[in-house]
Amino acid sequence: MPKAIEIENFSYHYPDGTCALSEINLSIEHGQRVALIGPNGAGKSTLLLAMAGFVKGEGKILIDDLTVEKKNLKRIRRTIGSCLENPDDQLFMPTLFDDVAFGPLNMGLETDEVKTRVNNVLQTVGLAEMADKAPHHLSAGQKRAAAIATILSMSPQIITLDEPDSSLDPANRNNLIKLLAGLSQTLIVATCNMNFAFATADRAVLVNNGHIIADGNAKRIMLDSDLMIKHGLEVPSITDNWIRLPRKSISTKSE
Amino acid sequence: MHHAHIDKFAYQDSPVHRLDSRVKFLVVLIFTAVVLSLPRTSVSILVCYAVGPFTILVLGRIPLKFAFKQILLVSPFILVLALSCPFYDRNPVSAAFGPFIGQVWAGWLRCFNIVGKFVVTMLALIALVSTTRFADLLTALRKLAVPKLLIIQLGFLYRYIFVLIDRAEHILRARAGRKLRSLGFKAELKTASSMLGSLFIRSLATAEHINIAMQARGFDGNWRCLSKLQFRRYDLLFVLVSAVFMLVLYFCVGHFLQ
Repeated sequence: MPKAIEIENFSYHYPDGTCALSEINLSIEHGQRVALIGPNGAGKSTLLLAMAGFVKGEGKILIDDLTVEKKNLKRIRRTIGSCLENPDDQLFMPTLFDDVAFGPLNMGLETDEVKTRVNNVLQTVGLAEMADKAPHHLSAGQKRAAAIATILSMSPQIITLDEPDSSLDPANRNNLIKLLAGLSQTLIVATCNMNFAFATADRAVLVNNGHIIADGNAKRIMLDSDLMIKHGLEVPSITDNWIRLPRKSISTKSE
Repeated sequence: MHHAHIDKFAYQDSPVHRLDSRVKFLVVLIFTAVVLSLPRTSVSILVCYAVGPFTILVLGRIPLKFAFKQILLVSPFILVLALSCPFYDRNPVSAAFGPFIGQVWAGWLRCFNIVGKFVVTMLALIALVSTTRFADLLTALRKLAVPKLLIIQLGFLYRYIFVLIDRAEHILRARAGRKLRSLGFKAELKTASSMLGSLFIRSLATAEHINIAMQARGFDGNWRCLSKLQFRRYDLLFVLVSAVFMLVLYFCVGHFLQ
């Protein structure tokens, strides 16, 4: 079975020459839940954009065995659903219903199928009652759920979320964690909130200065206080049985 | 965001809200054209025309205070134009207002005519916007063959004007928090231009992100949308009543009142 995402020696430089990503090698299996963790400006968002073909660099990216290149972009964007950091950028239609229907309609689905998908997805994210509302009438938590709904309605195999927990209060963050826990798709979450990453992912990829620093079990990486502090992060305050796991199984590139 | 949305009553339910948005749009368009086509000296008849939008506002349970507040917001531009009329047209003309007949400057008649037309047409527009969700209005425009590009632009304008206002408010708040004394005209101008520049750059970034979000969901330049409009007998009745109202005013009452 092909990998969900296979990245080989991918590098990207901003137009001013600054290196955003350098020699990235990453392989993600279908069904995995991966947290891309790292400080601000580490390259997490750029990596997510590269996966969906919005950033062109050197190297190779395969999404479900399809090379990320112009001729495959249509198929790739059916496979990978990208959710941007700011829900206001993601929700651009006059009503929530139209926004969630936007993707399925562009996929060429029949009207009845689109309506069924939209209603099901809105039910899933708990916004069925808000279908006819304009996005600016939604709360921050509702906007975030709505942004995820716009992706879910396209039934992608892979979902990428860029800082999905930003500007959410604890109650809405918990709701989002529950929502993500219920998804069966491959999930890639870019975040610098370790509690959120801890709660949503079972694998963590630590990125800093455009390099992958560590890749492995989420709990083991995030509970390594030296590693976290060295890269401007923190150890999650959530504690569970994982806290007693030995730290030796963490693999870092520096080792 | 806590803005006074222009369509904050559009999500209510009333007989007017349930009307087909195409019908409401066309009736308001024709009503506006009829009012604007009235002679430049017609003043009294405008009161009769105002009954139409007033009825719609009342039936739609739209507070009249809200409607007049909206009118006041945009009135300065029209008031400047209207109040300048008496200065350049001082020909005496006889005018009747009920039992009172007297001579006034023609400019004053023009002035009241402009203000009257403005208030009546604005009331009609507010009645339309306050009883129709913007998304339905856009669908109506699409069904009435308005160019797609214009509809997309209107959609984005409606969606992002509040985001822009919100950002501008944040910038103004940040300035107010650090501006502890009057800076003088030149410095104020410099600050304002920096603020506008910042707003512009952030808007560009937002536009880029929206483009990414659209492409990520398969946008290929063709705007696809589900239509939910339905023309019923109830809408036909509204068209007939509106047509009779306008015809009676234009051809019958118009002869007696000017």
